[in-house]
Amino acid sequence: MTAPTDNGLDGLPPVEPYRPTLRERMSGWAFWVPIVFMVLFFALPMALTVVFSVFERTMFWMEPGFTLAAYENFFFSARLENFLSSMGYSLISVVVSFCLGFPIAVFVRKSVPQAAQHRVVLLFILPFMVSEIIRIFALRPVLQRNGLVNETLINLGLIDEPVTALIYTHTGVVIGEVLSFMPFIVFAGFLAMEAVPKFIFEVCDDLGAGPVRRFTDVILPLAAPGIFAGAVFIFVNGIGVALIPNILGGPGAVNGGLIATQAITALDFPLAMAVSAIMMATLMGLLYIGHRLFDLTKILAPMN
Amino acid sequence: MDDYANIWLHRAKWAYLLLVVTTLMTPVFYVMYISFNENGFGAAEYVFTTRWYGLIFADAQLMNALRWTMSLAAVTTVLTIPMALLAAKFYKATRAKVPVVFLLLAPLFVAPDILSAALLVFFKNLNFTFRWLGDQLGVSFMDGWAQLGFTTSVIGLIIYTIPYAFVVILITMGRYNKEQTEAARACGATGWRAFWDIEFPQIRPGVFSACAFTVILCFNEYTRTSLLKGGFDTFTTVLVSQMLNSGMSEQSYAMSSFVSFVAIALIGGIIVFTLLRSEAAARRAQPVAEPGTRSTAAA
Repeated sequence: MTAPTDNGLDGLPPVEPYRPTLRERMSGWAFWVPIVFMVLFFALPMALTVVFSVFERTMFWMEPGFTLAAYENFFFSARLENFLSSMGYSLISVVVSFCLGFPIAVFVRKSVPQAAQHRVVLLFILPFMVSEIIRIFALRPVLQRNGLVNETLINLGLIDEPVTALIYTHTGVVIGEVLSFMPFIVFAGFLAMEAVPKFIFEVCDDLGAGPVRRFTDVILPLAAPGIFAGAVFIFVNGIGVALIPNILGGPGAVNGGLIATQAITALDFPLAMAVSAIMMATLMGLLYIGHRLFDLTKILAPMN
Repeated sequence: MDDYANIWLHRAKWAYLLLVVTTLMTPVFYVMYISFNENGFGAAEYVFTTRWYGLIFADAQLMNALRWTMSLAAVTTVLTIPMALLAAKFYKATRAKVPVVFLLLAPLFVAPDILSAALLVFFKNLNFTFRWLGDQLGVSFMDGWAQLGFTTSVIGLIIYTIPYAFVVILITMGRYNKEQTEAARACGATGWRAFWDIEFPQIRPGVFSACAFTVILCFNEYTRTSLLKGGFDTFTTVLVSQMLNSGMSEQSYAMSSFVSFVAIALIGGIIVFTLLRSEAAARRAQPVAEPGTRSTAAA
């Protein structure tokens, strides 16, 4: 080792410039792994659905080509009608979930002590952690003709005849969607209410705003990005989860997911890809509109 | 108006909250209740039994499916958690936050059937491409790379679970002070040391919860696995095909309840563990907060 030339440091050896070791330099690339993975196995397959949807259908598979047969098959058949009506019912589910779930988020933020808020929201994780498919199947014995709901109502003397409209109808689908996805509006609402500080409620009281004005003029605009994200989530799952109409729906209860699943069972892969592409376009369109309206990046504020 | 001006209104709101949670859980509990009935659903008489559970554990095919489920859950968790950690670190460091967060959270917004259909066709095409490439080059080792099977299901499950793990880890990371890493680096720790010795212990609860989430989500998952699994069966795919083909039998009630029991036990375990931990942490923090009691605590 050479003698130190700098004596200003009481003979201490000079500090060497920091040089990252090879391992450290390599490890920088590790941070790209999840990004590359998601691009390769999520973004790429989703983008390729558009390409595959115009391929020619063969007996068991498809071959490269350009045809709009799959789209024609979708837009000029009962499928479009089913898809649009599933959108309508999905919208109903969103509204019902919002009306039932969002007040809970407001209540937790407003009236539950800060330290306990997360624990109360955790209560809603519990149903969500039970397999979705099992919760949907479990609705069959509950809503059936001789199920829990009908038995209870008859025992209470409220009805004489069992209500049969609860299952294997569009009502059944809406019930299933609300019970499956409502926790999400509670979570999204809870996150969204982060943008509404507690003192706002006091300010509203002091200025004499009633609960209705407080909700429409203050809470709703501030929490809009989060509410929108939760609503989009429920909406796309409502038109995309095949099992709900499959298990709880009756004739005509067919959504986008079910069309895709049925197309795969029928080995019509281009059609399945066309449905996927249409669903992607719907989602992208909704997110774009939402972003233009409320700047969705605001939702990420609590995470930064 | 504060909450205590009208105590009954406040209580009614609490009652509503609990009512909603109960309503959401009722179907699950009802199925559990049926699963212990000797006579099954709709019987006039309720006779307690664990026979249906016995049947599950005696069924070799089901036990095999359960093993597949558990290995899928284990492998997916082992791969998802480090990736979610890396992604969260990447997100914290990068300036292009919106594309990163979009890429990682977008799978939440894509319905399961749509995502798995897209992945299914993607893998099938990839498999054809690999085979064709192999034929051109005269090699055969690439033939199985994108074949539907364990690997493809794991990929599908990682894409499903990574948003949840990412969000949970990111939220816990939000409470971490970055200056501590800077201090460690200034003292000469490598990036890895600083992470492992300083940051990781503080975000550990989040990482554990993310692990538990991933395990539960994999355990519960049906759509993605059923389309991407190829040859083998998992517990839920057997269950669902039974229910779709032959309706609800006594055994399927027991199987459904079994899956719910596992999930509830896992999440309940975590909640209890976290509460105990935070209590222990509070006990440790007390002498620091009240220095007068410190000497007694040390002694």
